[in-house]
Amino acid sequence: MKSYSSGSVMPITSQTFVRSTALLLLIGLLTLMGIVGTNIWLVERSQVYFDEVLEGRIARRAAIELRTSMQDAESGQRGYIITLEDDYLTPYNSAIDRIDEQLEQLRLVLAPYPEAQAPLRQLEADIALKLDELAETVQLAQSGDVQGAMQQVRTDRGKEAMDSARAFVDALIQAIDNRLVEGVANQRNTMTALRWVTIIGGIIILGVIGGAIWAVWSYTQELARARRAVEEANASLEDRVRERTSDLGRANEEIQRFAYIVTHDLRAPLVNIMGFTSELETSVASVKSYMETQPETDDPVAGEARQAATEDLPEAISFIRAATRKMDGLINAILKISREGRRQLKPEPVDIAEIAEISAAAVHHQVADNGGEIATDIRIGKIITDKLSIEQVLGNMLDNAVKYQQPDRPLRVRISARHLPGNRVMIEVEDNGRGIADTDHERVFELFRRSGSQNNPGEGIGLAHVRTMVRSLGGDVTLTSRLGEGTTFIINLPRDLRLYLGNTGA
Amino acid sequence: MNTARPVTIIMIEDDEGHARLIEKNIRRAGVANEIIPFTNGTDALAFLFGADGSGMVNKGRQLLVLLDLNLPDMTGIDILEKVKANEHTRRSPVVVLTTTDDQREIQRCYDLGANVYITKPVDYDGFANAIKQLGLFFSVMQIPEAE
Repeated sequence: MKSYSSGSVMPITSQTFVRSTALLLLIGLLTLMGIVGTNIWLVERSQVYFDEVLEGRIARRAAIELRTSMQDAESGQRGYIITLEDDYLTPYNSAIDRIDEQLEQLRLVLAPYPEAQAPLRQLEADIALKLDELAETVQLAQSGDVQGAMQQVRTDRGKEAMDSARAFVDALIQAIDNRLVEGVANQRNTMTALRWVTIIGGIIILGVIGGAIWAVWSYTQELARARRAVEEANASLEDRVRERTSDLGRANEEIQRFAYIVTHDLRAPLVNIMGFTSELETSVASVKSYMETQPETDDPVAGEARQAATEDLPEAISFIRAATRKMDGLINAILKISREGRRQLKPEPVDIAEIAEISAAAVHHQVADNGGEIATDIRIGKIITDKLSIEQVLGNMLDNAVKYQQPDRPLRVRISARHLPGNRVMIEVEDNGRGIADTDHERVFELFRRSGSQNNPGEGIGLAHVRTMVRSLGGDVTLTSRLGEGTTFIINLPRDLRLYLGNTGA
Repeated sequence: MNTARPVTIIMIEDDEGHARLIEKNIRRAGVANEIIPFTNGTDALAFLFGADGSGMVNKGRQLLVLLDLNLPDMTGIDILEKVKANEHTRRSPVVVLTTTDDQREIQRCYDLGANVYITKPVDYDGFANAIKQLGLFFSVMQIPEAE
């Protein structure tokens, strides 16, 4: 197994990926909220400054207008007193008319500022004093007492009031100007702050996006690496499976070759034994027939020779023959199986239903004799496999079903087939025969082994042969059985033999 | 085979028991010709091609070769190849009598010029019967003289 922990890039697991992504998102969200909040606050402040500036300007204008009106009134009064011409009274009167209104406006503007209330009251008093003085002097001049009016002016009572009012207006204008300058400076600061907040927020958001991109990128890399690792592991696993399968195939071939050679070489001496036993039998037969023609004598040697020729020798020969015949049968069985194993399999589309019908027809008479029947339930189409093997396997199973049926009930056989997951098919041959004892379920598939009472001839190779054939088709055969009730053989095959042969390199 | 020049049967069979049984059964078919048994390929080749290995030694002989493919020192295929390649022996009939029934082996033997290929039957009765019939076949066969 390859290890990735030594990589230079720290690997991102899915958990850390989720955590870091969530954290980045949170940072991004907070930054954005900060930017928006600061913006709103700064705009709000800017609005306040703007309003203040506007108010300041209004207050300034009101103050200046009031001062101008006062001065107009004073100039008009002075002109009239000096010239006594009514022309000068016109600006005086219009100024007097405006002053009340303008004072009211100033009062309104300064209403929110409590610190301005005391000076304002002083201003009102000064203005009232001044207006009083103006009105008095104008009235005196109108009545012809110019000297009196001059006298009034000379008291400086009006001038003081005027100076005081002027000083207030100047101070007010000064204060308002200061305030305006301050407001503009504040406005500029707010703008600068806004700019910085935007820049810093932008940088943070860029950082968050960069971080997110990095996290996604390295997580993707990690995923790709993991997938490659899985693919590599898979590939090596497949290689190993292929290797093992071909090893097994080779070993199997080796065993079959071995069996073939052994049986061949065993058969050569056996042919001699059988041949010469046969020759011996012929010879003994002639000796025997000669002995039988000889009259019986009392000679014990002749009696022994007669017994040997007529009884002992034929008996010995018959035992030798029986033994060699049995041995010949066994060797032939092994030879048959090993030859079957060496047979070149021919993958072709095989219709299981058709073979089942043909196999059933082959044993139809034997089955029908006892009132039995064979049913088929094939739910698969054609599969790619070796036709001859399937014919032999099914034929063998049906022969067994007939051979080992329970004599007291009609034979019922059911051949069914269906698909299995993993591109395989399952063929079942179910009978209601005498069944196989639990201890023999595996044993019956072994060569020369049989189960139950041996009331039928047989060498015990049928099922061994079946298993060999099914395995060489890439499948397996098992059974379930209850003694006295019946047996079900289950054959599991690949749907396409070519794939199996391709894997074993056969 | 009952011509003026008697046909000699060359039997190349490593198992002496088999050789004896083959001979017995051929005799039972009424074949009385000389049978020369060889148990290995080297001796058989020495007889067939003479000391010089040219095959001239066979001039005027009528030979029939009974050949087993499994020999201790070489395969019967080698002998078959040599017999059929030699201008003096190539017309002599070769009967391959062996245990192998491999299709490729049978094809190969006929490709190399074998005249008959017989698989030894597995059981003795069949074996004896086959040899007897082979003997009967021999008795009606025309065999050319080696050049």
